[in-house]
Amino acid sequence: MVQSSYTYGDLDNFTSSSRKQKPKQITPAPRPTKARRRKKFRIFSKGEGLDLTFFLLVLTVLIIGLVMMFSASYPYAFHRYDDSYFFIKRQLIFALLGVAAMIGLSYFDYHHLHKFAAPALGVAWLLMILVLIMPSSGDGDEPKRWLELGVFRIQASEICKFALILFMANWGSIYYKKMRTIKFGVLPGVVVLAVTALLLYLEPHYSGIVICALIVAFMMFLSGVPLFYFGIAGGAVAGIVVIMAVTGKLTYAMSRLDGWGQALEYTTPEMWQTTWQTRNSLYAIGSGGIWGLGLGQSRQKYMFLPEPQNDFVFAIVCEELGIIGAFVILTLFGALVWRGIKICLRATDKFGTLLGVGLIAQIGLQVVLNILVITDFLPNTGISLPFFSYGGSSLVMLLAQMGIVMNISRSATLEKQ
Amino acid sequence: MNDNALSSIRKRSYWLLALILIFGFGSIACRLFYLHIIQGQELSERAVDQQLSDTKVSAKRGSIFDRNGNTLASSASVWKVILAPAYFENDKQREYVSQELADILGMDYNEILELAKKNDSYYQTVKRRIESDERDKILALEDEISKKYDRLASVIVLEEDYKRYYPYNDFAASVIGFTGSDGQGLSGIEYQYDSYLTGVSGRIVTENDGWGTMMPFEYQQKEDAQDGNSLVLTIDETIQHFLEKYLKQGIIDYKVAEGSVAVCMDVKTGEVLGMAVENSYDLNNPYEIADESAQKELEKLSGTQKEERTNELLAKQWRNKAISDTYYPGSVFKIITASAALEEKAADLDSTYFCSGSLVPYEGVTAINCHNTLGHGSENFTEALCNSCNPAFMMIGKSLGEEKFWEYFQSFGFNSRTGIDLPGEATGLFFQHDGEPEGSMWPVDLAIGSFGQGVTVTPIEMVTAVSAVANGGYAVRPYLVKQILDADGNVVETTEPVIKRQIISEDTVEKMSAILEKNATEGTAKNGYVAGYRIAGKTGTSEKIGQSTHSEKDYIASYCGFAPADDPQIALLVYFDTPTGDAYYGSQVAAPVFASIMSEICPYLGIETQYTEEELEYVDTVAGTYLTMGLEEALNQVSEDGFEPYICGNGDTVLAQVPQAGSKIPRGGRVMLYTTNDSTKETVKVPDFTGHTVEEVNELAAENNINISFSGSVDLDTVYSYAQSVAVDEQVSPGTVVTVYFGNNKVDDKVM
Repeated sequence: MVQSSYTYGDLDNFTSSSRKQKPKQITPAPRPTKARRRKKFRIFSKGEGLDLTFFLLVLTVLIIGLVMMFSASYPYAFHRYDDSYFFIKRQLIFALLGVAAMIGLSYFDYHHLHKFAAPALGVAWLLMILVLIMPSSGDGDEPKRWLELGVFRIQASEICKFALILFMANWGSIYYKKMRTIKFGVLPGVVVLAVTALLLYLEPHYSGIVICALIVAFMMFLSGVPLFYFGIAGGAVAGIVVIMAVTGKLTYAMSRLDGWGQALEYTTPEMWQTTWQTRNSLYAIGSGGIWGLGLGQSRQKYMFLPEPQNDFVFAIVCEELGIIGAFVILTLFGALVWRGIKICLRATDKFGTLLGVGLIAQIGLQVVLNILVITDFLPNTGISLPFFSYGGSSLVMLLAQMGIVMNISRSATLEKQ
Repeated sequence: MNDNALSSIRKRSYWLLALILIFGFGSIACRLFYLHIIQGQELSERAVDQQLSDTKVSAKRGSIFDRNGNTLASSASVWKVILAPAYFENDKQREYVSQELADILGMDYNEILELAKKNDSYYQTVKRRIESDERDKILALEDEISKKYDRLASVIVLEEDYKRYYPYNDFAASVIGFTGSDGQGLSGIEYQYDSYLTGVSGRIVTENDGWGTMMPFEYQQKEDAQDGNSLVLTIDETIQHFLEKYLKQGIIDYKVAEGSVAVCMDVKTGEVLGMAVENSYDLNNPYEIADESAQKELEKLSGTQKEERTNELLAKQWRNKAISDTYYPGSVFKIITASAALEEKAADLDSTYFCSGSLVPYEGVTAINCHNTLGHGSENFTEALCNSCNPAFMMIGKSLGEEKFWEYFQSFGFNSRTGIDLPGEATGLFFQHDGEPEGSMWPVDLAIGSFGQGVTVTPIEMVTAVSAVANGGYAVRPYLVKQILDADGNVVETTEPVIKRQIISEDTVEKMSAILEKNATEGTAKNGYVAGYRIAGKTGTSEKIGQSTHSEKDYIASYCGFAPADDPQIALLVYFDTPTGDAYYGSQVAAPVFASIMSEICPYLGIETQYTEEELEYVDTVAGTYLTMGLEEALNQVSEDGFEPYICGNGDTVLAQVPQAGSKIPRGGRVMLYTTNDSTKETVKVPDFTGHTVEEVNELAAENNINISFSGSVDLDTVYSYAQSVAVDEQVSPGTVVTVYFGNNKVDDKVM
């Protein structure tokens, strides 16, 4: 084991004592064999097997997501492209690609990933700069979020989210001892987030900033940054909110946030138009009742709820499947998060644990934020629902990340034995 | 250290898991529960509200027919283009849609763009009443727009509507009235019967998607529109046409400044057979000023001044003078005074009066002149009316008394509306002095009221009152709508004539008819006579005291009468407001027009002719055809038909004849028989026939080889010709028939 850990420690300049410490922890593991050691050297590690529960949960959520996305999208697809299958065809292709990536990555030894931590972040930032520079395809006032690659386009921020998790996991696993210091614990996260936020701000993609900030915060929290600093950050945010509330600017800011919380009240015609999507999302959810209108029976998807295949797909789910269906899906998501974190906690190294928990937390975070948005609890800013919302790069990235989690579970199972 | 670190990470991972699952998922579960269960009812209702579209289906407005079924007004489908600018997201879209609409509708681009910029509106009317070809283009555009921009699917809306068509344009305009932009009746019958004509609009409730097209769920509830009722008027298109034709001519001939009215009524039932108000206007363009001089006047104005003046002129144009204008009836009112006096036995046919040319009705009052200032001398009751003698009528009024006079004014219906089914009816006014109730008059009021000055009446009141004298003494309610039909043409309602009361007895009626017939034949009203028909009538000329605007003294010339006198069927009032030509007396202006109209209406209604022997000589006979006859045979035939043959050319067969077969010429008239073709080119010059007696006209016609058709009164001793149907100096074939109109406007007969 010493050799094994040393071996890959050798591959990395940043390798520190953490790698060398490993044997201590692994010592209780029963007789290390040559075969197992060899597997460690392989790029593809099959391990003992993947966590079937997690794998099935991912597939179940993915299939339900595809069905619901199809149901939500076909009237709009037919209207827009004269082809009811327009979105589902594309999404299916990406799902297949994603599943392939997931299975492939579940064989790829995640330990190698730490080498890509810094480069990945660099590439993600570069892509985001490219997005800003490249001419946009849509109207001038549409946000620049996509990299046009001819046949399809990728959302750079999806890659960035992963890169942030990877970078922060790597950083945390290396400097875990210094996490209590500002220099190593707080500053890197703040700097990385600041650069990312700036690039997202220029797109603009405010919800991306929120997600990235929360991801970085989660990672810092997991890495052991003292709660004290979160207290300061939280206090600062709360302070700003209080000051704004006192000076009366909060309601103004809220109204500026696309009529947040005012979807059902008619104030001005412009606002009525702006809150159109949120309002119709609420109508859809409210129409669902307990049992829903039945699969495929949504009425709101008939051009009342704009772009129902995207962020607001869950509103149609609520309308068609009711609160029962919504809770079943939420339970599946919850189980997926639970199981995901559970298997990541089996990882024997800090990098794997941080990476896996970070990736799963991102899914949980997006589910929560997305549903808070469609229920008009947060401003409508464009947060997609994992496995449900239409979007190729997002889906492939998600499934790929699940592949990494599976590899972590595989390796952990292996290491535990 | 390592262990600590990893276990710290694991511990914190659990905390994060708890945060996400309990706090995050918990809060979204609560939120979803709230929206689904607590607020679900409200939200789903609002959702259904927007998913169901409630479309109004306009009902078709009913048609208006004349009594013979001619369509006077009808409706056809058109569409209204509505823009909902609230859907626009940016100026690019606004400009695009405005440009497309401007191209299709042929409108100004900027004008539509202005509408498109009203961001807060869902309902901006772009154009009303587009027809089906434009509608099809708009539908195609809607499709294109919704393909291009999702949010703009409902930016253009087409609403079905109906457009009102009036096939006769300015025909009977004041009666029919017109509709506003929303199809609501604004005047005339269209206004009065709006609730019948409108119908009940229906609705279609469908489940719609966000573009307003139908969702694939089969839900539709339809409530059909109930089309409006149609109306059959009492108006007879032919009679109305006669009225309008002669009024128009009269306005030109007598330079009438303030319009004219003619009302023809069935005396027994109160059915209005014709009600003409000239100058008229085009019902299809009611907002256009029809009067040319008014148009010229407007052109000189600008700004608010022009706007105000336009509104004034429009109000005047739309005003139905026949029911909304009051006027001094003048001598026509003597019919009423006379009837009342006979009924109350305040006078009888043997009563005699002496007219010295003026009369001081009461002490301390200045003398009131008769129109004949030389005086009529001694006259009986009948002569007093036939002379239209004012002093005699002041005496008759005095013997009737103020109280009775007021009573009859009321019972003839002058101070109340006749109840005709038209909006805006006015009522006549009787004396009313400051602080005193209507009807309290001073002696001088009675004096001038007796001959129709100082009391105001509306034309419809006047003709209704005269109808009462004609129909045996009954006050009837005049009406215009004979039947109400449902959308399929079945009769829903038939108007029954309303007889309100008896005003005067049969005996009085008989006496009055005889007097008025005598008056119309020999008296001051003889210009209204139509040979062959027993006309009874009375002229009137009144001064527009205090209302003269065109000269120092403006006049109203009117004639009211009925026919036939022995069994009255129709009453006719002809009324010219402010003739500004040389002639302005009722006998000069209104009477000939009355005669012309009657001469057409009576034969049309099939009223039997009853000629006097004297008249028979001048009664027109229809010329036969003599073409292709041998000369001998033709000559015999012409003589047999009662005409005088003249031969032109030296052939032996008749190749052409003047007048043509079927023309009407007086008995003994000339028939030219042409036996060679070139002989038809011969022409004669039409001489000036006006200003002559019947005898002189006959001589003149004989000299020029022209046939004369006599029109008007044929009281040979006193009438003079005043007009002819063919212009002086026109070249016509010999034997052509020229109608010459006779009357006695040469007599200095100032008929008040």
